[in-house]
Amino acid sequence: MLFFDQLKKNDPQLRLVAVMLTVGLLILLIGLWWVEVVSGRTYQTHLEIQSYRTVRIPAIRGRILDGTGTNVLAENRPRYNLSLNLDALRPKFDLAFGQLKKQVVAAQKQRLAAQETRLGRSLNKKERQAFAITTEEWEHVRQQARLQVVAGMVADISRRMATNIVFDPVKFERAYATRLAMPYPVLSSLSPQQIARFEENFTNFTVAELDLQSEREYPLGTTAAHVLGYVRRDDSSAQGEEAFFSYRLPDYSGISGIEGRYNNVLRGNAGTESVLVNNLGYRQSENVWSQPEPGHSVVLTLDLDIQQAAEASLAQHQGKDARGAVVVMDVRNGDILAMVSSPTFNPDYSQNDQTRMLDPFLKPENNRAMQENLAPGSIFKTVVAIAVLENGLNPNETYHVDPNPDRPDKGCYMLGHRKIRDEAPPGDYNFKKAFIHSSNSYFVHYGLQVAKAENIVRVGEEFHLGERTGLFPRHETGGNFPTLGNVQASDWRDGDTANLCIGQGDIAVTPLQMAVMVSAIANGGTVLWPRLAQRIEPLEAGSGGAVTNFPAGLIRGHVSVHPRTLNLLHEAMLADVGEKDGTGTAAAVPGMKICGKTGTAQVEDAAGRETGRNLWFASYAPYDNPHYAVVVMVQSTGGGFGGTLCAPIAHDIYAAILKKETAPPARALAASLLP
Amino acid sequence: MRLQFHEPSVRVDPLQLVALAGLMFIGTAFVYSATMANASAALLPWYDQSWVRQILWYALGLGAGGALCLVDYLSLSRWSYVAYWLTILTLVAVLIPKIGSTHGWGARRWIDLGFFQFQPSEFAKLAFILAAANFLSRPLDELRQPVIFWKGMGLLFLPFVLILKEPDLGSALVLLPTGLVMMFVAGTPRIYLIRLVGIVGLLAVLFVTDVFFLPTGWWQIPMQPYQRDRLAIYFGCDYTHFAPPNATPAELQRLRQKELDDAYNVRQALISVGSGGPTGKGWRQGTQNALGYLPRAVAHNDFIFSVIAEEEGFVGSVVVLTLYAVVLFTGLRTAGQARDRLGKLVAVGVVTLIFSHVFINIGMNIRIMPVTGVPLPLLSYGGSSVLVSLIALGLMQNIYIHRKGY
Repeated sequence: MLFFDQLKKNDPQLRLVAVMLTVGLLILLIGLWWVEVVSGRTYQTHLEIQSYRTVRIPAIRGRILDGTGTNVLAENRPRYNLSLNLDALRPKFDLAFGQLKKQVVAAQKQRLAAQETRLGRSLNKKERQAFAITTEEWEHVRQQARLQVVAGMVADISRRMATNIVFDPVKFERAYATRLAMPYPVLSSLSPQQIARFEENFTNFTVAELDLQSEREYPLGTTAAHVLGYVRRDDSSAQGEEAFFSYRLPDYSGISGIEGRYNNVLRGNAGTESVLVNNLGYRQSENVWSQPEPGHSVVLTLDLDIQQAAEASLAQHQGKDARGAVVVMDVRNGDILAMVSSPTFNPDYSQNDQTRMLDPFLKPENNRAMQENLAPGSIFKTVVAIAVLENGLNPNETYHVDPNPDRPDKGCYMLGHRKIRDEAPPGDYNFKKAFIHSSNSYFVHYGLQVAKAENIVRVGEEFHLGERTGLFPRHETGGNFPTLGNVQASDWRDGDTANLCIGQGDIAVTPLQMAVMVSAIANGGTVLWPRLAQRIEPLEAGSGGAVTNFPAGLIRGHVSVHPRTLNLLHEAMLADVGEKDGTGTAAAVPGMKICGKTGTAQVEDAAGRETGRNLWFASYAPYDNPHYAVVVMVQSTGGGFGGTLCAPIAHDIYAAILKKETAPPARALAASLLP
Repeated sequence: MRLQFHEPSVRVDPLQLVALAGLMFIGTAFVYSATMANASAALLPWYDQSWVRQILWYALGLGAGGALCLVDYLSLSRWSYVAYWLTILTLVAVLIPKIGSTHGWGARRWIDLGFFQFQPSEFAKLAFILAAANFLSRPLDELRQPVIFWKGMGLLFLPFVLILKEPDLGSALVLLPTGLVMMFVAGTPRIYLIRLVGIVGLLAVLFVTDVFFLPTGWWQIPMQPYQRDRLAIYFGCDYTHFAPPNATPAELQRLRQKELDDAYNVRQALISVGSGGPTGKGWRQGTQNALGYLPRAVAHNDFIFSVIAEEEGFVGSVVVLTLYAVVLFTGLRTAGQARDRLGKLVAVGVVTLIFSHVFINIGMNIRIMPVTGVPLPLLSYGGSSVLVSLIALGLMQNIYIHRKGY
């Protein structure tokens, strides 16, 4: 064989040369084997790392639907952006740079010549160096070439689209430096006419392309804004997702409301796309590694008709900037049929006026149904009523209320040196009369004498006052309610109990808690967990995904109360709306037996002067077979009473409910037939 | 005593020719692949395209090599000193700024003749071999004289220094083993050679230590910055070693960035070669090349082997190595069967020259040698290199044709 013959030569020198050649070739062979066969995988990985970029593709966000499962409260709409494919522009960049380079070099030659004529001689090498163009200067020229090309491209696109597009060089350079492999957006949110124009005028224009993204849309405007919450741009990875991506497409995360509470469910799982780039970073091709999994939709318990009626009524009676809240609940199972908070905001967050959003008085983002600590005023007398009746008060026993010397047409109660004023007139009161007139004197007297603070607190605790309901964990307050320890402490005075009896002082509640309380009174003493989300279902009906149902009517507790006591309370509440003396007659709706209680709590400053009032109307209907609980709250700075300001709003809501119940069944049937 | 006239047999060495054909075919195919990946290059007219030009050089080289075979190499060798001094002249000429051009590389290695970029160092290598072979094929007694030894050294160092001045470290370096092996085979006394190797080795070690491993402040041998950088990358020496003592952190950061940039070629070559794996990605399917990670400027000449390794894998690399091995060992066979010492020396010189190129270039691609800009014979794109390789192999055939007949 050729090789071995040479190695076995007689000539020792040639033999040595042959040996060295063999050794050298073997070294190369082993080196190649090491690099290509043994380490081949490693180098392939290096290749992929340097030439692939990963892109996070967000999933379609789930929708939010009302109680029927058919009306859409939050959904996605497509957004088309016109973008430039930067890799297709690369030859133009090079061409422009070539032309600029000629100019720069010519200018440099001129400067050299000028210097030479000035000095009267040729420059030596060192002096020439000073005129040399540095790398930074070349980089700047390259940048100019790029900007020139892209500005021209944008102008061309402007012309074809008949839209004025402003080219921002700083934004482009930033995109060039950080997101070269991604298309560069030139025009965002194209209208359908613009899309049609694009399709017509850009057929051979490979540089421009349409990108599709999705945007969150709230078709019903500001309806149920606080329930829905809003989303913010957030393209970060969720738990369990890939943490590192080269680029991320825009995505959203819910901040408050249902959007926030069920964000993980709504957001789905992002997908991954890989983009192949060349050594300069330009995109060459793309490939989807894993498809995104769309989010799930959340079906709420809201009744859209009641919600819209409540919102309309509050706005109509009190104006757009009214500070107030409405909660409508199903007393049988705790489902929230409506939750309104005013002032409201637009869940499409960018549409909001930022100065209004930051107004410390209006606080539009605040959900007044759950996030405000409010003194309940006289609606707390329902709790006091239960406490006194359970502790042996004879409802027919009369109590005489003395007139107030300063205002003889109103009553008053003397507690030591302190005078507690009454809005009710002086005279004799039994339970029912005291209730429908909302007599402070009666309730303070019997609250102190019969029930005492401990029993009132016990009943309140059974209603779970002072505790959160857990609907929106970070956006709810539990209010403030004294504990047994508080009332048994040495610093608890009769005056404190008196305050408690009229729902003022060291007590604060939310309209939602009041709705739970009224529901419990209405349904016979069962305190329910309120439910806002009915179920979670897949985005596409029939796609076979799992449906998660949230059970209705979860029991939170019981109020230990005799049916007799409740009957007395029910009757009194019916009389409050039904009898002409009652404070809540403004809520009456013919054809429906409504039971309610008004409340007017004063808000005072440190000196004891009134700075505002919390006006309440807590009610349920119908008397015979309780179904709905309606709690209306208005914060007023200009006086007013629960009966005059809140009851009319409740009236509108009950009217709407009645209309809906007596409406022809066809509409309901049709609604149930829709997919 | 009867004089025996040996009829020159017209038999050429078929095996070497077949290996040559194989290498030329591979060269064309991969210069095509390396250059056609660039979209703008593909648009050039066919006569401007690199692979067509490569075929042209092959044809010219074959013609020149073949023409040389018509004349007995003994007659040719009379012109060896003329050729040698001519190439020395061109080496001096290329150093003159007006005549030599740098093509923007910073090294003045070419004389621009319009249609042909003439690289004197390539021709100097061949001329040196011829001159040295002529010089060394004198009686052994003469070789033992120190005067002759030093003259031989002069013969070697003159082109060595001139090539080094261009600067072209790689081409200068290949002269050293070639000269050394030729002297060894010629029968120069061992002791001279050992001393020579010892001194050169010592100088190399001192040089490397001085430049890279001594603390800054000691006197450093002046070197072109890019040469020093290339060697630094090879030895894994941090660039910040060369920073002036009061360098700010920003300057040090820039040095480190430059180190990364300079190591880029080697890194990309390694990724190219490695990602080819056992069987490669297929002709023209090399992603490193297509995506531009292997710089276009060097993909078709110095780093052509990376392109071959990426596209044909370990199998392709072994095929290339085998073809070179065939060429080298047939050359050795020619040396063994040469009619006289002149032929033996020329053959050995050519074999060593080709081997040095192959070893340094492929070694450079897999990082066992520093980057030195030495072409791969017959595979790299470049007129001078192809012409010289084919002329040299033509000489080998010439020696083979006129070998000892039985």
